[in-house]
Amino acid sequence: MNAQASSGPVGETGPLSRFDAIFSRIESFFAFVAALAIFFVMMVGIAEVVLRTMFNYSIFGYLDVIELTMAVFAFLSAAYCQRFGTHIRMDLVVSLLKGRVQHIVECFAIAVALVAVAILIKATTDHFLRSYNLGDSTIDANLVTWPSKMMIPIGLSLLWLRLLLNFVGFLRLIVHPDAARVAVPPPPGGGHGVSDEEHV
Amino acid sequence: MEPLTIGIVGSIALIVLVVLGVRVAFAAALVGILGLVYMRGWPAGIGISGLIPHAETTHYTLSVLPMFILIGYLAFYAGITRGLFDAARKWLARVPGGLAVATIFATAGFAAVSGASTATAAVFARIAIPDMLRFGYDKRLAAACVAAGGTLASLIPPSAILVIYGVIVEESVGRLLVAGFIPGIISAFVYAAAIIIRVKINPELAPPVTERFTLREKVVASQGFWPILFVVGFVMGGIYLGWMTPTESGACAAGVVLLMAIVRRQMGWGDFGKALMETARLTVMIFTIIFALLIFVRFLGFAGIQEAFKGWIVDLPLPRFVILLIILAIYFVLGMFMDAIGMLMLTLPVIFPAIVALGYDPIWFGIIVVKLVEICLLTPPVGLNCYVVNGVRPDIPLDQIFRGVWPFVIADLAVIGLFIAIPEIVTFLPNAMLGN
Repeated sequence: MNAQASSGPVGETGPLSRFDAIFSRIESFFAFVAALAIFFVMMVGIAEVVLRTMFNYSIFGYLDVIELTMAVFAFLSAAYCQRFGTHIRMDLVVSLLKGRVQHIVECFAIAVALVAVAILIKATTDHFLRSYNLGDSTIDANLVTWPSKMMIPIGLSLLWLRLLLNFVGFLRLIVHPDAARVAVPPPPGGGHGVSDEEHV
Repeated sequence: MEPLTIGIVGSIALIVLVVLGVRVAFAAALVGILGLVYMRGWPAGIGISGLIPHAETTHYTLSVLPMFILIGYLAFYAGITRGLFDAARKWLARVPGGLAVATIFATAGFAAVSGASTATAAVFARIAIPDMLRFGYDKRLAAACVAAGGTLASLIPPSAILVIYGVIVEESVGRLLVAGFIPGIISAFVYAAAIIIRVKINPELAPPVTERFTLREKVVASQGFWPILFVVGFVMGGIYLGWMTPTESGACAAGVVLLMAIVRRQMGWGDFGKALMETARLTVMIFTIIFALLIFVRFLGFAGIQEAFKGWIVDLPLPRFVILLIILAIYFVLGMFMDAIGMLMLTLPVIFPAIVALGYDPIWFGIIVVKLVEICLLTPPVGLNCYVVNGVRPDIPLDQIFRGVWPFVIADLAVIGLFIAIPEIVTFLPNAMLGN
């Protein structure tokens, strides 16, 4: 199962490439946390079944814990996903374009995403702060909800930074259409950009 | 502007952005937020938009998705696919087109541990195509049966796309998963029949395999099926007995596959890490599009689009069967240009209330529409499974693969016709197992 990263070619040492490499490490770390959260849900699910079946015992607040954990894997790896160009899109038109025109359209698509995610960061931060100030908690186990809600602005902020890198990467390609692809997702269309596991 | 007009303008804006290559989630979120802000003002619009991402993604029902995705990746890295193909090959070698038929049944088996079509196609492109080509099989047949076999993963539980359908239309995920089982198996048999008939007509497509296997060899190879049986047992049995929620059955099935891999020493830490990271990547993609689309759907709700569309469809002076066919035809065409999840998420909020108003069974429609979007993974110009096979085997040109899959597409359309003519094929199992 191959995956294509967006990082520039080996030996590329420009500032954009360096930023891309540093940021890739940060987003991989957060994606790893998301992956651990998935593993945690798996283990808790198994534990709940075993305890319930064999000892007639249910983990206290099981549903609440799972639901609050879900925010970790629902958001923290959004930037990592964008790096590989995994977020769904229709790339038929873009793949028909060539060179500079294609980069301009790609740049526009990223700009739209930047605006959308920026507004979402503002909206979800407000939601998190409301919950933090009110001391909101779950009904069943009385667990505080703000740490879970905080995952969303964190995940979206990382995504915004990745999109910003993509945006700069495409601006660079507009100026130098034949330069190596640095800090941009894999190219669209054909067998080139499709990797195995990116669609369900 | 009238709310309905704003809704229509928003929908057109979304289509334009998606066509221009903006990722579906971001386009939907932006149009949805702007629409809500325009209709309700800044504080209320932003308030609603800020609430949805957490409220809609932290539903317990959705936690089944990463579990199902994880099972598939663990099974892949644990090498279960190789054992499966080997077993199917030994049992079916003497059937006309035996290796291709074996590929179909092995993909059906892998579908029982994998919820993703393209992943299944990618795995078997590596395992099955080299064997088929070694025995002189036609390249087009070899590539096409892998691409077609991959689509079985969307019907045979665990299926990620059926879970997504269930979440969007608020139907029972357990019922949908059970409903996919028989249609998935029927599809596999129809694919196999299509291969056998083609090879009978034109034996050059698949020269007979001269290898002979003893019964002992076949039985030994069948060990490859055990992990699959365990997973099927957990997923179907857990849901059937009401003993486990779908998430718990997915967690236990993933645990079993992981345990098998550890016992057989087939998976190192590196592979385990990769399986988890790839699961995280696919999971976040699905969750992002879910919450973004739900912001857009909330906007459509305020604009009254769904109600208006439902009223318009129900009032059409056409028999409901004709309306259904028109809707399915629209899906077929749309699917030629869009990814399955993106298409379902964009259309279902509007189409589904109309389908229910026409009196069709929501579970049955789910299976039909998922089967239909899976066909679209095979048809040009963006039949993803064909691209995936071509990506793994660049020596088989894309146009050849697209030409090779047509018999499977025709077989699929016949199967959909069958499910429409006899809906009980789809609804029988969930009704029998889980009551009406």
